[in-house]
Amino acid sequence: MKKEVKPIDVITFVITLLIAVVFAFPIYFNIMSAFKSNAEIMKDAISFPKELYLESFKYLLTETKYPEAMLNSTILTVSSIAVMVLVIPMAAYAIERTNSKWTNAAFTYFLFGMMIPFQVYMIPLFKQLKMIGLFGTLTGPVLLYISGSIGFGVLLYTSFLKGIPREIEESAEIDGCSRTGIFWKIVFPLLGPVTASMVVLQGLGIWNDFLMPMMVLPAGQAKTMIVELFYYVGEFSSRWDMIFAGTTMSLIPVLIAFLSLQKYFVKGVSSGAIKG
Amino acid sequence: MIAKSKKKKWTNYAIWFILPAFIVYTAFVIVPTLSSVYLSFTAWNGVSEKIPYIGLDNFVEIFKSPRVHNALKNTLILAVSLVLLENIVALGLAILVDQVRWFRNLFRSIFYFPVLMSGIIMGFIWMIILNYNFGVLNQLLEMTGLGFLKTDWLGNPDFALISIILSTVWKAAGYYMVIYLAGLQGIPQELNEAASIDGANRLQQFRHITFPLLAGATTVCVMLSMIGSLKVFDQIAVMTDGGPGFATETLTYIIYKVGFGELRQGFGTALALVLFILTLVISLVQIKVLRKREVQM
Repeated sequence: MKKEVKPIDVITFVITLLIAVVFAFPIYFNIMSAFKSNAEIMKDAISFPKELYLESFKYLLTETKYPEAMLNSTILTVSSIAVMVLVIPMAAYAIERTNSKWTNAAFTYFLFGMMIPFQVYMIPLFKQLKMIGLFGTLTGPVLLYISGSIGFGVLLYTSFLKGIPREIEESAEIDGCSRTGIFWKIVFPLLGPVTASMVVLQGLGIWNDFLMPMMVLPAGQAKTMIVELFYYVGEFSSRWDMIFAGTTMSLIPVLIAFLSLQKYFVKGVSSGAIKG
Repeated sequence: MIAKSKKKKWTNYAIWFILPAFIVYTAFVIVPTLSSVYLSFTAWNGVSEKIPYIGLDNFVEIFKSPRVHNALKNTLILAVSLVLLENIVALGLAILVDQVRWFRNLFRSIFYFPVLMSGIIMGFIWMIILNYNFGVLNQLLEMTGLGFLKTDWLGNPDFALISIILSTVWKAAGYYMVIYLAGLQGIPQELNEAASIDGANRLQQFRHITFPLLAGATTVCVMLSMIGSLKVFDQIAVMTDGGPGFATETLTYIIYKVGFGELRQGFGTALALVLFILTLVISLVQIKVLRKREVQM
């Protein structure tokens, strides 16, 4: 079955390889630099580190607020995702299965949110958060992440629900199962793939988010990893080694998630894209 | 009668299922958006209790201010060049990954990985690569005898926006590549084989078979990259902060600068409404185009 290797195959491979080197270089550069001293980065940016220099990691973990920021990033990502997975599929299920005038209106209402960029409403949002006492708490950003993801999430789940036959639910209803029971015991497990796609895509977005946590989280305390990194770029503008160590620490969980959940990342992109 | 009461039971549960999402979404998206509309007619500074109503003055200023015109011009340049470059690069990468015989998955992952990076991290890495004195790019130019091309990529107003555009293409192309790749893999191979028997070369095959059949993926990618280009923010914050001067100040960035840097939140919300209308128009066109495609299928 093995086809013979034609010259065109070799040419394609070499071209792809060259472009891949260009694409991978910034990431290679980042990780290599995290294990170099500042002087070494400036002198020789491209080669491997001569020795494993770990001082920047030590400094970040002991002398700065980075460990707290790591904790905050984790709390925000995990709790927002947990509530999203609780709230969004339920709403999408009710909308898709009821198909009444009111639920259709709710669907359009939620979709409208996809067309509103965060910058459009961020200015009044901060005053509003202050008014209800959520400014400077971790609850504030969690609520904002959930509200911001409802449009996209409802769209993703309703389109997936269309493909799930209702017969199982109907027979469960005849057996006297409640709506909540039917949803959580029968329907929700069937939504696994779409839940996985939503978790990876939204989780990544929250982990990488910058503007909102920078504005909303309390000043003077640790914010999130990305926000702290942004401050370090200004504060320690000459300590590149330290910033590279920080970016590497933030990239490691992303890399692990990507390698283990690759197919959901790709599926999420194509399913989100087709429906817009 | 029975059917009616049954239907009512369904609606009852639906209310409770939808309510949590409805409350959070209304409170934290719709209410602040409506407040934005109101605030755009005021000269609020974001701090004081007083919110002075000034009618249409903010919108008049938008029409007159050279700084806003410059930001709109930058947004337009960014949008046009990102849509073109991201799609050309993404399509090229997709074709390569589709055709390459070895390490296909590895290549796909390498091209996709920058998509997963935060704009802040990506901006920082590129800032160092483009640094005038110690940056890799200038070092490479020197080594290859192209030293005369050396410049301060982010500090020179002629190159700052180009640097932002090219680094954003690097970050985003992998996303659209995945969509093009799905499109390419949906094209039956027999078509190309038949054309090749009829004597069509690879370029002709691409022009007359592959590209037309990718129309769907292209539509989606163009729309998504257009909306994406309006959202570029993090990398500007790290790499240039809108500068040098106002060379990289875009619509999203000027909203942030005016609202929080200069405490002119009334004017900031007026600019935010311009962004909203722009996004709305693009989204409505998108929905229309996608609907049309569905009908045809």
